[in-house]
Amino acid sequence: MEDYRFLFKVVLVGNAGVGKTCLVRRFTQGLFPPGQGATIGVDFMIKTVDINGEKVKLQIWDTAGQERFRSITQSYYRSAHALILVYDVSSQPSFDCLPDWLREIEEYANAKVLRVLVGNKTDREDREIPTYVGEDFAQRNNMYFMETSAKEADNVEKLFMEIAHALIEQAKAREPVPEYKGNPGQSVTLNHRTPSTTSESCCSRLL
Amino acid sequence: MDLIDFSQIKSLQDLDMLEKELDAKDMECDVRIKDLLSNRSDLEFQLRSLSKKLSNLKPVEAESQHFAEVIKSTALLAEDVSAKVRLLDKAKNRVSECQQRVNDLLDLQQCSEGVATAMQNEDYEQAAAHVHRFLTMDETLLKHTARDVSEGRTMDASFHRLHDAENQLKKVVAEKFDEAVKDDDLASVERFFKIFPLLNMHDDGLRRFTNYLSTKLQDSSTKNLNEARLTRETDKRANVIFADTLTLLFEGIARIIEIHQPLIETYYGPGRILSVMEYFQKECDTQSKLIIEEFRKHRDFSKKVQIVSAYLNQRSETKIDAKEVDSVLNELTLLNARTELYARFVRRRVTSDLDISVTDEAEKNAKLKNVDRLLKDGETFRVMQILLGQYILLEQYFMAQSVQKAVELDSLIEGSSDDLFVVTSVTDDVFFIVKKCIKRSLVSQSVDGVCAVINNACGILESDFADLLLNQLRQGFPSGYLDLAQAYSVLQSSLQHGKIQGSDIEKNRTQFVAYLNNTDVSMEYVAALKNSLDKSIQDAFGNNLTPYEKDKITNCLSGLSSVNIRLKSVSEFGFSQLKSSAVKPRVKPWLDAFFHSRTTYEIEEDEFQDDSESMQTLISNLDAFFKSFKVCLSPTTHGTFVSMAVTEIALQMEKVLLKVKFNRIGGLQYDKELRTLMGYLTSSTTWSVRDKFARLTQITILLTLEKVSEVADFWGKGPVAWRLTAQEVRQVLAMRSDFRQEDIRRLKL
Ligand SMILES: Nc1nc2c(ncn2[C@@H]2O[C@H](COP(=O)(O)OP(=O)(O)O)[C@@H](O)[C@H]2O)c(=O)[nH]1
Ligand SMILES: [Mg+2]
Repeated sequence: MEDYRFLFKVVLVGNAGVGKTCLVRRFTQGLFPPGQGATIGVDFMIKTVDINGEKVKLQIWDTAGQERFRSITQSYYRSAHALILVYDVSSQPSFDCLPDWLREIEEYANAKVLRVLVGNKTDREDREIPTYVGEDFAQRNNMYFMETSAKEADNVEKLFMEIAHALIEQAKAREPVPEYKGNPGQSVTLNHRTPSTTSESCCSRLL
Repeated sequence: MDLIDFSQIKSLQDLDMLEKELDAKDMECDVRIKDLLSNRSDLEFQLRSLSKKLSNLKPVEAESQHFAEVIKSTALLAEDVSAKVRLLDKAKNRVSECQQRVNDLLDLQQCSEGVATAMQNEDYEQAAAHVHRFLTMDETLLKHTARDVSEGRTMDASFHRLHDAENQLKKVVAEKFDEAVKDDDLASVERFFKIFPLLNMHDDGLRRFTNYLSTKLQDSSTKNLNEARLTRETDKRANVIFADTLTLLFEGIARIIEIHQPLIETYYGPGRILSVMEYFQKECDTQSKLIIEEFRKHRDFSKKVQIVSAYLNQRSETKIDAKEVDSVLNELTLLNARTELYARFVRRRVTSDLDISVTDEAEKNAKLKNVDRLLKDGETFRVMQILLGQYILLEQYFMAQSVQKAVELDSLIEGSSDDLFVVTSVTDDVFFIVKKCIKRSLVSQSVDGVCAVINNACGILESDFADLLLNQLRQGFPSGYLDLAQAYSVLQSSLQHGKIQGSDIEKNRTQFVAYLNNTDVSMEYVAALKNSLDKSIQDAFGNNLTPYEKDKITNCLSGLSSVNIRLKSVSEFGFSQLKSSAVKPRVKPWLDAFFHSRTTYEIEEDEFQDDSESMQTLISNLDAFFKSFKVCLSPTTHGTFVSMAVTEIALQMEKVLLKVKFNRIGGLQYDKELRTLMGYLTSSTTWSVRDKFARLTQITILLTLEKVSEVADFWGKGPVAWRLTAQEVRQVLAMRSDFRQEDIRRLKL
């Protein structure tokens, strides 16, 4: 058996081209990949990190943004502990699609999933989305918020480490024996809206 | 030598000591002087021999100087020689260049004469060979040489003629090739195909040739697709006819490569397969798109997808029959499998061709990237990605619909012929469906497809199926006395009718028990499913999975562990229901009755019973109780049930016991009874009864003491840790009416 105390599934979603794959590569391999093609289906990567002396295994699923991979992508929402929704700060269209992505998340993900909004490519000169606009969107939708640059390695490590940290807190709050138990625990975000439950997922009403 | 400090000499004694010291030092000095003197002759000898050797060294110095001179002049000589050799080499090269050029000039003459004749004779191979020879010559150099030897005019004419011939030949060969294509004259097509590379027209030749073969491909694919359209529904392959048609297309390409690769390699050299595949891919894209379009139309596929996705998104209530989806699902997986197979073929062919033709790693990697792009972004593969997505959607629908049907048709069934425990059909059915769907996804040969279906299956099991079990168990186990014979007859008639018969209470009881068993069996099924899938995955993919892909599937399969964790919690919930509605209400009165039947535990010796009647009654009650559940619970469930009951009995017994007064004989009496009870319970469960009764056993030790002071013999000693606190020990001792309060108080614990 591998030596880790927690296992968390992290899923990245968002339009194609916003830099999901680059974020994951930067975090897991410490590099900014030159001109790799668009992701096909889902890529996955493992990275074990140390949070206050606890070994945490992050299982990171990097999804393809295009519509034709939607049903593959959707199958990963349900068991995710954290969802990272990424847009490109230099692309208004990628920001405009966020509500669509949120709708997907509401429909397929566990209501308690940790949700993080990430504005990537802060290194670019031609920024279109000011920080406060992203922040505001995140706040209105009960999400964590962070701006990153996969290219300059800005905030990337921090993003994943804070997610791991928050998930540990959740897991510990959930039960005295903090071992991985499969279904995600309570969100630490203050959620004022009544969250939809898992049983509202696509086929639950059949039973 | 140290100076002597006379101020330190204060007495005669000191003086004596000093004298002795000086004597000793004097002697030491003598010894050292003698020692040094003895070395003298030796040293002198050495000095002498050294000066002799010194005179010998003089000539050596002179010789080495001479030697250095010699070496220097040799080096100069060598340099001189090698310069000459270099010069010679250059001269030799010039000579051979000259020869080459003379040869070229001679050949040029010959070529220019030969090419005309060959063209006249329509001997295009010969003509092309002449031009090819001419194309290997360095034209400017030749012209230079020719001017030097004033051959200029004839040669210019030759060049002119050859250039003309080259252009003409290029045109003619292209024309002849096209003509051969038009006449569908394969022999001529191949004949001219071989001539292109002689005229440095590699790309042109390959393009024309693959174009020609593509039309062949197109013809046969059109024919196949027409036949597919006309396939009768009764045909064995009718349900997968479009997968078959696509297969024929891919096989056609594979066959062409198989047949023509040697020809291409021989005349065009290795390293051409990537461009050949790129050319064919265009036709492949066109044809596969036509086939898929026809598939969509013929199977009413787009409508199906639309209905299903609207239904799954809860935008509409319209459904379609799961059976209808079933057959199209099979075809979808086959379509995808063929495409994966074809992609693997292309990759293998191109890679091995690049392996032998490209040595530069960077160049090879760049070309391999092109293959990747071809196989990911090519239209054929793009169309297939869309289709795969729709397959996953439909499979999800099929799985959910079939599960729903299984729920609707849920009925009681016997676990097996030996045991009469009941389960309902839903468990077997749901696991059958899930396994069928995942196995079907394996046919697709798509790792992402398999992963998605596994994820969705885990979702159905972990959420919907577990919820179903939980909701059934939430109904609870109706309390009230469960008559063994009655339960049995309910069971019998239920099995006969496939539905639960009898009163509502009986129905609910049977239902509850069946679902408790369902939950237990489900956990076994999950483990079995995991094992069976491990094997199926190995069978389906063989060695075609990269370690990364294997890892990906394994990580998705680990979702099944989450399913079992959820089922475990459902099962625990069921048992807690059973405990509060069946165990507690039964055990408590029986224990009350047990302690009541004996009015007191403060008894005389002659009242001691070896065979306690009240304990016999309690045991026979418990026995009947356990047996009534044994017939209907699965073996593991029954084990858990008894264990839970035993815990409850120990807990309740302690509660009642603490209210009873004892003397020593009474204590011994209870000790005896407790042993009987534990003996019985041990025989009815595999779980450790001793542990669950540890506190009671320790209480009993205290109840059987002769004197309070004997506590010291037990407390803090012995192999087992005390489960009672000091406070509790005093409390138990106080239950002994024959112990004095102050003795107990005085105890040091
Ligand atoms: N300037 C800049 N470019 C980025 C950054 N992250 C990604 N990109 C570029 O954006 C493009 C798409 O990135 P990719 O990771 O494939 O996006 P994905 O489709 O979301 O996975 C690539 O050309 C990357 O080089 C970033 O932080 N800064
Ligand atoms: Mg990507």
